[in-house]
Amino acid sequence: MSFGGNNRRRHNKGGAKHSNAPTTVDESNPILVAFHGFARELDDKHDRYERIVKCGRDITIESKRIIFLLHTIDQKKDNVQKVLAEAQQRLEKVCTMNFAEIAKELKGLDQYQYARAFSPGLQEFIEALTFFEYISGKDLSDWTSVQESLKYKGEEESPPMECLVQPIEFMLGLADMTGEVMRRCVNSLGSGEVDNCFDSCRFLQSLHASFLGLGPTHNREMSRKMYTLRQSVMKSEAVCYNLRVRGKEAAKWGAEENLLDKGVDSASANAEIDEGFF
Amino acid sequence: MQNQMIKSIFTKFQENLNKEQELREEIRLTVREIDQSAKEAAIALQIIHTSITEVPQGCLRARELFQECQKGYRKLAEIVPEGQYYRYSDHWHYLTQKLVSLVALTVYLEAGFLVARETVGEILGLEVTQKNGFHLELEDYLLGILQMVTELARFAVNSVTLGDYQRPVMISRFVADLNAGFRMLNLKNDGLRKRFDALKYDVKKIEEIVYDVSIRGLAKVNVQADKEDIAEVSGDTDKKTE
Repeated sequence: MSFGGNNRRRHNKGGAKHSNAPTTVDESNPILVAFHGFARELDDKHDRYERIVKCGRDITIESKRIIFLLHTIDQKKDNVQKVLAEAQQRLEKVCTMNFAEIAKELKGLDQYQYARAFSPGLQEFIEALTFFEYISGKDLSDWTSVQESLKYKGEEESPPMECLVQPIEFMLGLADMTGEVMRRCVNSLGSGEVDNCFDSCRFLQSLHASFLGLGPTHNREMSRKMYTLRQSVMKSEAVCYNLRVRGKEAAKWGAEENLLDKGVDSASANAEIDEGFF
Repeated sequence: MQNQMIKSIFTKFQENLNKEQELREEIRLTVREIDQSAKEAAIALQIIHTSITEVPQGCLRARELFQECQKGYRKLAEIVPEGQYYRYSDHWHYLTQKLVSLVALTVYLEAGFLVARETVGEILGLEVTQKNGFHLELEDYLLGILQMVTELARFAVNSVTLGDYQRPVMISRFVADLNAGFRMLNLKNDGLRKRFDALKYDVKKIEEIVYDVSIRGLAKVNVQADKEDIAEVSGDTDKKTE
């Protein structure tokens, strides 16, 4: 029996890590025969789940990087077009590579069965996608168009494969995106792009209002995100307030003091304010 | 421009949400109906703890109630949209596990073997594989079997009280097989694993009962005679209790 076990392990290299189930079963015992089948079925389920989680993690990492890339947009450097083009290309690559792998795993199965395995990755991807669309001034897509881009043609005569995009997941990703808009609002203040600040703030306010209008979603994550969203709105409103009251130059330092939670060295901050006045 | 888009996204989402809530409400109602029959079946089977002679009647009554459950499951299968089993399955996990344990107990009492997954599916009107539609989840089946073992441990105690000394010995053999079966599974750290960890207490309880009756010579523990006919034994005890 031990030889059988080793043999099986060798054949399954890289695949199932739970391949140490005994391969020989007492044929005369119907219970053991049945459970042998169950063991295989459970292993298949668990392994598939793990593989999808792995793919989802890759998507999360790449999406975070794309968002970081989008934050490097700086009008002074005149790199808007270049960054947007690169971001779009990378987003498309995530669709065609990483999500396609998940779709292959889900082929022919109930779409909802493994949805939880890649939900963090999907939300992060939606965050990156909608943030990209916001910055480039396009219409935001909704879940149906995201779903469209995550459909893949299978081999001939087989039905198309897809990764399920649940509406709720999309909304959660959209809520995450507001944090990025807030960051952009603050960053724009630093680089002196005043229009951006007001635009972002207005955008956040309208999103916040829409989220308030939703009925109960029965989703624990949602209420947590609503709280963060409110914080973001208030931060960007403070930015706009400072801009209006103190004029462009002074607002930059005042807002920074507020937002960095007195983390700035006060001496150096004072020195910089002096510089602003003269 | 974007504001318009936001509005349309949120209206669409709200509609979506409302539709889902309605469907969930309908599912909840159907599940409650099935749950009612399941409860009655559970009550009918409680007879095994008080009277050995009435076990066959209890089983018959339970079978009738399973028919009701089957109707309920058929209805549920119609309500739940195709390919969305796992979206709503939270609503009936517990119920299905309970029913599997009742069906398994009934079949064990009648015939003395472990009910096959296919048979449970047939009795409850569920498919076995996901491909065929509304199905019996493997985890639910296994959890139901574990629930049944707990009930059997209780039955072992009460059968001794009622004077049936052979019964614990048979139960013990059956549960030992099940235990061996569960050991073959590679369980993740999930609900099934937790429930399986509790199996050893049931096994221990049953073994203690077997020890008690055999040390007093109440049961003829015969290792050689592995598969005794249940009908024969229960027939014997019927005479004894009469």
